[in-house]
Amino acid sequence: MRKSPLATGLLLACLLSSTGLVRAADPGTEDPNNWPQYNRTANAWRYSPLDQINKDNVGKLSVAWIAHGGDITMGLQETPIVIDGVVYSISAGDKVAALDAKTGQTLWIYEPKLDPLNKKVLFSPYSRGVAVGHGMVFIGTVDGRGIAIDQKTGEEKWQVQLTDFANCHGCNFTSPPTVAGDILTFGSTAGELAAQGKIFGVEAATGKKVWEFNTIKQDPKSWPGESGKYGGGGAWMPGTYDPETQTVFYGTGNPGKDFVPSEREGDNLYTDSVVALDPKTGNLKWYRQEVPKDTWDYDAPYEVLLFKKDGKDLVVHMNKSGYVYVLDKNTGNIENIWPISDVKNFVKEINRKTGELIERVELPMNKETLICPSTFGGRSWNSGAYNPKTGLWYNDVLDFCGYLKPVSQKVDPKDFGTGHTGSNDFGRLVMAPDGRKPGKLSANDPITGERKWSVDMDVPGFACVLTTGGGLVFNGDPMGKLQAYDADTGKVLWSFNTGSGMRGGIVSYSVDGEQYILVASGWGSYAALLMPALLPQLEKVPAASTLIAFKVSK
Amino acid sequence: MRNIAALAFAMLVLTAEAVPIAADEMSNLKDPKIIAAGHAVFLEKQCAHCHGEDGTGGVNLARRVLDAKGVFISIADGREKNGIRMPAWREVLTDQEIWQATAYVLSISKTR
Repeated sequence: MRKSPLATGLLLACLLSSTGLVRAADPGTEDPNNWPQYNRTANAWRYSPLDQINKDNVGKLSVAWIAHGGDITMGLQETPIVIDGVVYSISAGDKVAALDAKTGQTLWIYEPKLDPLNKKVLFSPYSRGVAVGHGMVFIGTVDGRGIAIDQKTGEEKWQVQLTDFANCHGCNFTSPPTVAGDILTFGSTAGELAAQGKIFGVEAATGKKVWEFNTIKQDPKSWPGESGKYGGGGAWMPGTYDPETQTVFYGTGNPGKDFVPSEREGDNLYTDSVVALDPKTGNLKWYRQEVPKDTWDYDAPYEVLLFKKDGKDLVVHMNKSGYVYVLDKNTGNIENIWPISDVKNFVKEINRKTGELIERVELPMNKETLICPSTFGGRSWNSGAYNPKTGLWYNDVLDFCGYLKPVSQKVDPKDFGTGHTGSNDFGRLVMAPDGRKPGKLSANDPITGERKWSVDMDVPGFACVLTTGGGLVFNGDPMGKLQAYDADTGKVLWSFNTGSGMRGGIVSYSVDGEQYILVASGWGSYAALLMPALLPQLEKVPAASTLIAFKVSK
Repeated sequence: MRNIAALAFAMLVLTAEAVPIAADEMSNLKDPKIIAAGHAVFLEKQCAHCHGEDGTGGVNLARRVLDAKGVFISIADGREKNGIRMPAWREVLTDQEIWQATAYVLSISKTR
């Protein structure tokens, strides 16, 4: 018997109201039971609409299962992907595993044989995730390859060498590709490398490379003389694919040498920019450079969020400087610019309408200059999360500074372990001059920047934030403290010691009617190497590579 | 007999791979000139990135008890321990440069 459209609609409405699910049309609520891509949805909000775990019962959250990834080198930096009851995970050495999302039991493992050169390069052996689509799991490897694995069996389907790994100062992939329809886009590392960073377009079905976009513009005004030869840039975090306009958005890396702009006397396009690309061709639709002729390592690889507000299609993007750029999604025109913190001195201000950097602080050679925020930024690369129910965007703000000292440096692309930075170090970290705590969890309106609440932290967060339909914000710190906050007020509702610090992503999914919170625990990355100079307690944090799943026991 | 010879040869190769340096390759690690040259390598190759310009950075060398051979091998072949990682420098730096850097590291660390 065929049901009438009205009856079907009523049935659907009843179903939705009885299960507490939200309407499928609401942005950020698509595919509610899964975490199918790096920032969950195409708008990159990192919002799970699931509400079974909520303010009333989060205190009863307990461990459902634990899984170990193996190699702990540089920690566990991934955001796991969860689709239809299966977790897809990647740990050090680009080791990929599929796990049963109810039990944590391993279903299959894939481990590529890596080029031994990866032992010498700056950015290895970590990865920030996998991508899933077309029945395959896709990874970008630390030796510059794209690899496709059968989603069900773990068998390799194809692989393609994309970067010239041995001849580009070890430029490689530390993040997953972005699935943009039939095309995968891979963004390479390059900001601290004597190389030109690229974004590659690859056929998802076959692995055939179809285009590459050079983040170093071939333009003598932008890069006089030979200055662009090792200009850096790249795009070392995942892009955002917008199916509505068939556009892939990437934030790009910094120019090199990082701290010596006098050796590159142009605006250094397309570094420190948001670029909007046609994934079919790699053609540039528009760009917005946030920091022309960067001097302070304020690159722009962070997540690109999409919003619709008052009839406008908008992009929201945080630069490492801590300034947030609100742009027209179709043109890149500036709608607003606001700072996530007032711990900033590299400029007096940034013009909210034009983007002009007002009263830049330049760095004299061979002399230390105090710059705020530090080279870790006003926030690190770990994504924030936006909750449409509260209208708030939650971010781990870093409120500390660093002394930068540019020095002359020979360029040798075969010197794989030395950063193309024009410095001996990456900034001597110090607390903010006013003595405030080194960071906070901050809840802001993403368009205006208005702060509703914040919670100061003795050790600031370096993990991606999660917010849910249950009115919660989950955040993990480097000491191992995982906490659930009231999304409206910032009140701590639950806390758990994961045994190691968090640097990856926290996600939520549902299997057989039960909601889970899944946490990547394993302190690592350059933050683990450098931050103990500022916060000595971090020296003692145990390393790990652990996935911990939580649920409310029945 | 041939098996024993083969085993002995294999052990030699393994030993050679595990300890590919001779202890007397850089005898005077306390020579101020060698230490100064090592500090230059330390800065130029951005060891200071993680260890700080004076060795008291994020991965603090000044508080560690170190020995010459261990430092040389760590610099040459890289180091992965406690979840953190140092890249390998063999064939990027010469053995002499690695010994110089070793001399500097020993000069700022607690030696056995």
